[in-house]
Amino acid sequence: MVNVEQPTAPWRIGVDVGGTFTDMVLRDQSGALWVFKAPSVPADPSQGVMAVLNRAVEQLSLPLSDLLGSCTLFFHGSTVATNTILERKGARVGLLTTTGFRDSLETRRGIRENMWDHRAPFPDVLAPRYLRQPVGGRLDKDGLELAPVVLADVDTAMEVFAEEDVETIAVALLNSYGNPAHEDAVAAHLSDFPWLSLSSRIAPIMGEYERTSTAVVNAYIAPKVVGYLRDLDSHLRDNGLARPILLLQSNGGAVSVEQVSERPVNLVLSGPAAGVGALGLYARSADTNNLIAMEIGGTSCDVTLMGEGQVGVTDELNIDGYHLATPSVEIHTVGAGGGTIAHVDEAGLLHVGPQGAGAHPGPACYGLGGEQPTVTDAHMVLGRLRPGPYAGGSVTLDDGLARQAIEDKIAKPLGIAVEEAAAGIIRLLEQNLLHAVEHISIQRGHDPRRFTLVAAGGAGPMHGASVARSLGCGQAYVPRQAGAFCALGMLHTDIRQDYLAVHFDNLDSVDGAVLQQAFEPLAARAEAALSAEGFSGERATVQRELDLRYRGQLWSIRVALPGGAFDPAAVRVAFDADHQRQYGHTQPGGTIEITALRVTARGLIDVTEPAPMPPSDAAPEATALRQVYTDSDHGWQETPVYAGTDLHPGFAQDGPMLVEELTTTVFVGPKDRLMVDAADNFMIQIDGAEV
Amino acid sequence: MSSQDNLDPIVLALVQNRLDHISRQMGWVMTRTARSPIFSQSHDFSCFIADPDGTLVSQADGIPIHTGGGGFAVRALLRDFAGDIDDGDVFLLNDPYTAGGNHLPDWVIARPVFVGGDLVAFACNRAHQADIGGGAAGTYNSEAREIFHEGIRLPVMKLIARGETRQDIWRLVMINTRTAEALDGDLRAMIGSTKIGADRIASLVEELGMAQYRDYFEGILEHADRSFRRCVAAMPDGDYHGEEAIDNDCFEPVDDAIRVRLGVRGEALEVDFTGTAPQVRGFKNSSVANTWSAVYMALASYFDPDLPRNEGTFRTVTITAPEGTIINARPPAAMTMNTVFVAHEIVHAIWKTLNQAVPERSCAGWAKAVHGTTSGRTGEESPFVMYHWNSAPGGGAVEGRDGFNQIGHLIALGGLVLPNVETYEQLYPVLFKRQEFRTDAAGPGTYRGGTGADFEVEVKVGAEYAFRGEGLYNISCFGAAGGDAGQPGDMELSFTEGGTEKPPKYAVRHFEPLTLRAASPGGGGWGDPKRRDPARVLRDVRDGVVSRQAAEDIYGVKLSGNGKSVDEAATARLRAH
Repeated sequence: MVNVEQPTAPWRIGVDVGGTFTDMVLRDQSGALWVFKAPSVPADPSQGVMAVLNRAVEQLSLPLSDLLGSCTLFFHGSTVATNTILERKGARVGLLTTTGFRDSLETRRGIRENMWDHRAPFPDVLAPRYLRQPVGGRLDKDGLELAPVVLADVDTAMEVFAEEDVETIAVALLNSYGNPAHEDAVAAHLSDFPWLSLSSRIAPIMGEYERTSTAVVNAYIAPKVVGYLRDLDSHLRDNGLARPILLLQSNGGAVSVEQVSERPVNLVLSGPAAGVGALGLYARSADTNNLIAMEIGGTSCDVTLMGEGQVGVTDELNIDGYHLATPSVEIHTVGAGGGTIAHVDEAGLLHVGPQGAGAHPGPACYGLGGEQPTVTDAHMVLGRLRPGPYAGGSVTLDDGLARQAIEDKIAKPLGIAVEEAAAGIIRLLEQNLLHAVEHISIQRGHDPRRFTLVAAGGAGPMHGASVARSLGCGQAYVPRQAGAFCALGMLHTDIRQDYLAVHFDNLDSVDGAVLQQAFEPLAARAEAALSAEGFSGERATVQRELDLRYRGQLWSIRVALPGGAFDPAAVRVAFDADHQRQYGHTQPGGTIEITALRVTARGLIDVTEPAPMPPSDAAPEATALRQVYTDSDHGWQETPVYAGTDLHPGFAQDGPMLVEELTTTVFVGPKDRLMVDAADNFMIQIDGAEV
Repeated sequence: MSSQDNLDPIVLALVQNRLDHISRQMGWVMTRTARSPIFSQSHDFSCFIADPDGTLVSQADGIPIHTGGGGFAVRALLRDFAGDIDDGDVFLLNDPYTAGGNHLPDWVIARPVFVGGDLVAFACNRAHQADIGGGAAGTYNSEAREIFHEGIRLPVMKLIARGETRQDIWRLVMINTRTAEALDGDLRAMIGSTKIGADRIASLVEELGMAQYRDYFEGILEHADRSFRRCVAAMPDGDYHGEEAIDNDCFEPVDDAIRVRLGVRGEALEVDFTGTAPQVRGFKNSSVANTWSAVYMALASYFDPDLPRNEGTFRTVTITAPEGTIINARPPAAMTMNTVFVAHEIVHAIWKTLNQAVPERSCAGWAKAVHGTTSGRTGEESPFVMYHWNSAPGGGAVEGRDGFNQIGHLIALGGLVLPNVETYEQLYPVLFKRQEFRTDAAGPGTYRGGTGADFEVEVKVGAEYAFRGEGLYNISCFGAAGGDAGQPGDMELSFTEGGTEKPPKYAVRHFEPLTLRAASPGGGGWGDPKRRDPARVLRDVRDGVVSRQAAEDIYGVKLSGNGKSVDEAATARLRAH
């Protein structure tokens, strides 16, 4: 819960810059939590960071130098990389490519999001063709040189780049994943140039389109992102912060500014990926390794799955149509949130989403000029949200406007009552949420019924119980800090860096010594990175993994080598088991190919559990009784409303009820039971299922 | 019949959403469990749900050229097995002449869904198999003259009877393929996907109740019908005519055409192919299911991308397809190529005709592919079949968007992902030399067509070449709204031992090591090129995809001396007349 007292030094701070709000979570030595919020400033995200720090300074009556001076770890999730891409505010990029292959970046392998929408153009290419310059030389598929790299071509290209004010250069030569020599030679030749992005360093995967695209996006964002982060880091350190800030990366791990400056493209999912840390925390408090998180904000829902304690990390990421081959937490995002718009199409069918009303004008009930009915308006009509000040007083909710929008745009066209229309909007939204969860679980071969659903984000706790019931989950877990899910998750994040090398071999015939030798350069990079971050001994771990597939397949599965030791028989067993789960079959005795080596470096941050809260047997009083439309079986019911601050561990009560928290509202249906667990979070039991 | 009045509009929306989700779920199971890379890479399959009469009610997931065609298969099943359909049965079929198939490689698994002893729906999956016997490995026999040269024909058959797999049928199909292991795995994946679908459909029907569920299915079809009727009603009444030429029959040049008349009568649309050329010798002839799908795809893609793609959408469409023509061939005409060519031609003919009726949505033609396959062996390794996808052609423009410079087949609306050359160098005995945009090949327009590509690859071993170069040597697309067609494709083989040769459009040949050079055709442009934004012309010239000469002659844009800006005054003069 949120404290009113002074924190006890030392503490950790997590700051997550979101689209609308910048969230801050402070956890002190005893494990007690403080949450602060301030509006984000998209044009200069550091202003949002300073604003939320100043809010803490005011509320805790601590000078900034003390707030930062007693902070041992400062985690930061920043949208600066993402926004640089979304707003097309990056630098002017020149690309050096192999002669004859200038256009893979623009051809994009023909990949389009929605094939039926053929009128939609590709997003603008980040390096125009006249700034994609050819370099002679060729490596073959095994990395052997067929023709030496032609550095004179680089000189010619540099003349063009100078004339065209190119600020940053990406180098992506054919087959460089197998041998970086040609890219290294180009880099050595350009050692004076400040911003170089080499594909073989940033994303040494096989596949020239994705590798080139990753290098180009990296080049495009690097000057702005690295500059911004260095400024923020030095500003905070000038104000008392002892240790460099740690940035959340797409892989769910943290890294220092200096370490990430070569690969800022790894920050694209910074923020959402911090949810992994939160899942680790809830796995301990809810005592299960199988969680599906549904983080619902204003416009979208991010679904993340933790199976047997592991959250999947892939090499595929798509940001606004640009493809990145960077290690990224698997997050499935759908357009379903509080601001999602409902509409009736011209042929008379109701739809909810994927379009959203955004922060401005927002839902109709905000009174900021929005006329399209949204999910938030439906909650108002159903009595689940209270009219008046909302989101810390930043808007005032008007239930008349909500009712009007749903009446005009939904109820009248469909010929039904306004309450029926509002309930219908919620049912359709919750169906979309259910489908999103099924998408990620069924595609990966998991049965969602074995999972506990974590309902997070400001809008998540309103829908957690209902979606859990449809999924067949026995329970929904609602974190008290649902609205600061990612900022809290950051405090439970390890340092992490991933390295990969494409390597083809046969699992059964490969010489173990040769394999270990091939791992060495990756392991050396991993160890150097950990050492630079100040980790050694037991707190520095380096995990080795193989990418494997049956011969003839085009996709691979990762299998870890426990303790780094290579035992082909054990690897086969592990591969077959995972193949069975993911694809439903195996090829007994089939040839297994190694396709890549991976090394993951982790610097382990101390695990500190939240401070246990003493159970309380005080019977809290409802702050109000409100008429709420609970579900289609029960219709309108008089429903008690509780203040979250009144509910303590040990509390348990059957629904229906509403719990109003600082950053969210929890809805408990008439068939559900709410409990507060020892970690001070909410657990909703569905239909009285066993916990 | 109108059932709308007694339906809950909220439940109707939920049912529509849920049926589409179920057909997508079937697709996820398919991509996850199938053996052949074709399903996860190319998505060459479609999952669909039909009502007990065989009307397709949902096909949310699938390749566009399968649009709305699955109903023919289910209706053939109902015709052949009336009174003999039981819970636990699974049916298999592929024949385009007798079983509602589209072409032989696409096999359909259809599973009846029962609730309380009543047939309530069919859960189905139509998927392209890796090999089905016939005259060439990999299902495409460019030299086929009869369907018997193309692989095994399957009537509607009960593959699983009341839960028991008929092993005789299973063995029959397994000995009729070159890749039994892949077929075995892929068939099991198809069967598994329909099982998941059937379970979910049964739950949905149980929730809705036997008394009501058909009304909701009908409500979904009626909504789709209303959606498309609005599109038709917006077109001025009248008859519109168009045609697409066919310049070869896979063996020699011909001068044939697909002719179409669109008759707009209020909310009703007639699609009449009377006057279309007779069926041809080669394997481009179309089946009823494929022609209907091509028409549906052409219509749906022209209007709203969000149009439902169930059979309700096309209730207002009447198709007339004379028998014995290339779009409705009589047996035993060969037809494996039809899902690409002649489907591409059907879509073109319909788009050209629609361009007269709805000029504001007009679409330029997409150039046709020039590539076939190279197959052979590398040393002791297993055989390979390589598609030369990296020579993909340029797409057509629409208002507001240039054509895609290199894109997969029109009949998938470009949904097929092109491979990386690095991947193909790992898989096949080849070395790529070039894959870059062409200069001055794009069809000119206010929005220009795609550029096509200059493509060059060295094949290091002797191998068999199956040529399917529909886009070679002649123009294969068209401009729209005053735009022009792109340049035709070209191909040349340069033998490592010496000498060169231009391959025919269609053939199967063996060659020793060689270098294959292709220039894939450019796509069609949209709108008057003299109205193209000069800034876009400048960018094209700087990018090297349009020459300075063409900028002046075709686009009426003069650049400054250093080529970095537009000479506004000279451009105004060039564009004044």
